[in-house]
Amino acid sequence: MSDNLQVLLLDDEPIVGRRLKPALAKIGCEVDVFEDPELALAKMAQKEYDVVVTDIRMDQIDGMQVLEFVRERWPRSKVIMITGYAMMSLAREAMEKGAFDFIAKPFKPDDLRRVIAKAAHALGSDIDFEAVEVEKANG
Amino acid sequence: MVESPVQGNGQSPPEMAPQATEEAEVQGRLGLARDAEQARRALLNRPRFSVRLQIFLGNALAFFIAIAIAIALVASFQRMESKIRFLEIVNDYVMEVEQARRFEKNFFLYGTNLSDAQDNVFKAENILSRNAEELADIMGTGWREQMLPNLHRYQQLLEKLGQQPQGEQALSKKERLRVQSQVRAQGQQMVSAALGLLSKEKTALTEVLTRSRQLLFYSVGLLLLCMGLNAYLLGSRMLSSIGRFGQYANRIASGDFTPLTPTRRYRDEFTELALAINSMIEELEKREAVLVQSHKMRAVGTLTAGVAHELNNPMNNITLTAHMLQEDYADLDDEERLEMIDDVVGEASRAKKIISNLLDFARESGSQLEPLDLPELLRETIALASNQIKLSGIKIDFQTSGNLPRVHGDSQQLRQVFLNLILNAIDASSKGGHIQVLVLPADEPNYLAVKVMDSGSGIPAHILPSIFDPFFTTKGKGKGTGLGLSVSQGIVAKHGGRIMVSSQEGQGATFTVVLPVTTIPAELGAKR
Amino acid sequence: MPLIIVSADDFKQGDEISQKVAGTLGYRYLGRDLLHYVATENQVSEEELARALDEAPGLLTRRARRQRLLGLIEAACLNVLLDDNVVCFGLAAHMYVRAVSHALKVRIINEPEQRAEELAKAEGLSVDKARKQVLRQTKEERRWSEEAYNLDQTDASLYDMVISLGTLELDKAVEIISDTVGYRKFQPMTYSRKLMQDKALAANVRRELMGQFPEIRVEANDGTVVVFIQSLKKDQRKKQELVRQIAGGLPGVRHVEVHIIRDLVGQAAQSSR
Repeated sequence: MSDNLQVLLLDDEPIVGRRLKPALAKIGCEVDVFEDPELALAKMAQKEYDVVVTDIRMDQIDGMQVLEFVRERWPRSKVIMITGYAMMSLAREAMEKGAFDFIAKPFKPDDLRRVIAKAAHALGSDIDFEAVEVEKANG
Repeated sequence: MVESPVQGNGQSPPEMAPQATEEAEVQGRLGLARDAEQARRALLNRPRFSVRLQIFLGNALAFFIAIAIAIALVASFQRMESKIRFLEIVNDYVMEVEQARRFEKNFFLYGTNLSDAQDNVFKAENILSRNAEELADIMGTGWREQMLPNLHRYQQLLEKLGQQPQGEQALSKKERLRVQSQVRAQGQQMVSAALGLLSKEKTALTEVLTRSRQLLFYSVGLLLLCMGLNAYLLGSRMLSSIGRFGQYANRIASGDFTPLTPTRRYRDEFTELALAINSMIEELEKREAVLVQSHKMRAVGTLTAGVAHELNNPMNNITLTAHMLQEDYADLDDEERLEMIDDVVGEASRAKKIISNLLDFARESGSQLEPLDLPELLRETIALASNQIKLSGIKIDFQTSGNLPRVHGDSQQLRQVFLNLILNAIDASSKGGHIQVLVLPADEPNYLAVKVMDSGSGIPAHILPSIFDPFFTTKGKGKGTGLGLSVSQGIVAKHGGRIMVSSQEGQGATFTVVLPVTTIPAELGAKR
Repeated sequence: MPLIIVSADDFKQGDEISQKVAGTLGYRYLGRDLLHYVATENQVSEEELARALDEAPGLLTRRARRQRLLGLIEAACLNVLLDDNVVCFGLAAHMYVRAVSHALKVRIINEPEQRAEELAKAEGLSVDKARKQVLRQTKEERRWSEEAYNLDQTDASLYDMVISLGTLELDKAVEIISDTVGYRKFQPMTYSRKLMQDKALAANVRRELMGQFPEIRVEANDGTVVVFIQSLKKDQRKKQELVRQIAGGLPGVRHVEVHIIRDLVGQAAQSSR
């Protein structure tokens, strides 16, 4: 059992995973990246993640279905929804289904990091977000 | 599904009579803007024979005939008048002479009234001399020689008779008897001469009357004939023009905006009408272009929201990559950095493609005819609408038979038509629905058919005939303009094709667009 | 914790309910007191501000002036609403806080018959006359909101909850609202907070520009500000420069875009919930 936050990132855009994996690694997250919702669900059936970050609109399986699955299977996990099609009704629906937070594309790596820090805090295992800030200020 | 095909009007308009073969144009060709100026010049370049002129000529002819008749009649009347006058005179003369003869008879019987007889003779001569002019008119200047000698001889004889029976100059009984018979004979002759004249003139008068009557009948008949003929010519000229313009109106209503060209060898007031209609046609064409463009802009508006969403992904990718590149610049090696920059460049061009797809569709373009690959066009159109499709959760299925011939048309405008049908299908379908797009050869030879089928709630039978009407929409206020199908129909008609719909309530709708295949390339681009 | 925005057809009732809800939940109450702050900050009179909120502009009031006053109120209000846990009433917030999922919008209404009766009693009118006056008041309300924000504030579909004080008493209404606040759907999210920040930024920029450009629309997204103004072709360049200058200096503004638009109202009406 690692101390790192276990994060699953699901988005059908490959670049998202490629860039966010190192970005989140910096704040102490171990990220498993998936582009195919089926595979992600299969993995989640076995492994509990602390935080699940998923896109809302994907071709075969809806992000909402992923959200429902996670809430059902791992109630402790915090699910964060990412979306390019931001609508208020969608946001409220996600909240109702138990999402922890909701961010809209386009976003910066820091935006996600901040939210994950919030999620970590809610989980009781704070992560050192400031570390990154300090690094940026120095670098 | 019961086929209740409603046709968008794309039938070929009636052919117009060409003035010269070079001016006849095949209907249904899109966008070849006829030289309106050319039409105008041709219309004006003819001798003018106006309706007004024809009316004027007809009336003038009738007028002249009437005047001629009147003059002839007046002349006749004058002749008749003088003849009647003559008859009166001669009648008076005969009366006097007969009165004289009665007195002569009396004298022979009773020996009295000789002076009366002489009086009458004298009166008779007066009558003649009083009316010398009229007599001269009828009988000529030699009338005296005709009339007077007899009279004078009679006069002389009477005088002789008046001489006293006694005395030396007394006539013997024998002589007396001789004179008497001479007088009688002369008197007789006078009377019969006068009566002869009378009857001659009466005959002449009757003839004149008859001739006048005949003349009147014939000339009135001629007049009526002329007027009738003129009316007929005028009427048929106007009616044929009006009928022709009626045909033009139908032709224009069916969407054919070719200018009117000359069909007769002269020009007149209807030519002005034709010129006015030509300028109206130009205006209509311009407005239709505006309508098509504004409808397109509306489609662009619909698509723009989708495009904005579609752009989120490349933008997000660029943002994430650029930020990470910024953050980790020092720690990354060259290869990694290059990879990230490649990603940025790739995503930027992806964004560009999304935008340029829309811009290409939106840009204002003059009509450009070219041979088109319909399946490719459909694929592009589906790509344009891909966002609406994704957003609505509908599946779209595209099928085409291979090796289809090309269609001659304007890719921009046809794209607009297909986009309209696809967007309508999306609107009609609910989440999870299914849209099918097919391209295949049509039932008729040399035509291709594009079918867009949705599995929505269908179109009720009572609405079906109106859906191609302009401004007809079943969407709520502010949602549909009702322009889509009518504009699309106009575009397809200009391509020489037609749009048909068949639908049953509860079973979705199928829109079929039938377009003609390109003909021999050499023929294209010849007419500009 | 969500924002609660209350709109009422009777000012006193709305005020009372809002204060009670704030009290129950321990939230801050934001009401007409804000006008005092706005008045001082911007050198306008409190009465004028209150009038702008209550009355549709008559012939004498210039529309531009009224819009400016409302713009000042909007900016000040949004800045406060950036924090959560606020109950807001009397500042027309239900008109401009839209599409924010953590804003619970409540409308308090009275049955027209009841209103007429109370009005008749209070002002000694006949019930008939009172009824007519009630109708007129509703019309006035509608007119005001359409004039100022192109929306009909009496339209129930603008709200998450409409409570009629016919059968439900005032205190019951307070209870209902306080209970609903816990509903997950109204919890703030990064996304909705960002929306509020964008709105506040846009309102601030608009406040600065309104003096020069009475007909103006501002949208903000993450520090990028897009300004829509009306202008004649010849003044375009100058005006764009001016806008960039003024807006660029404001805090939170990273980039300014200026667009010239002809039909502002129509465009604004189309931007959705």
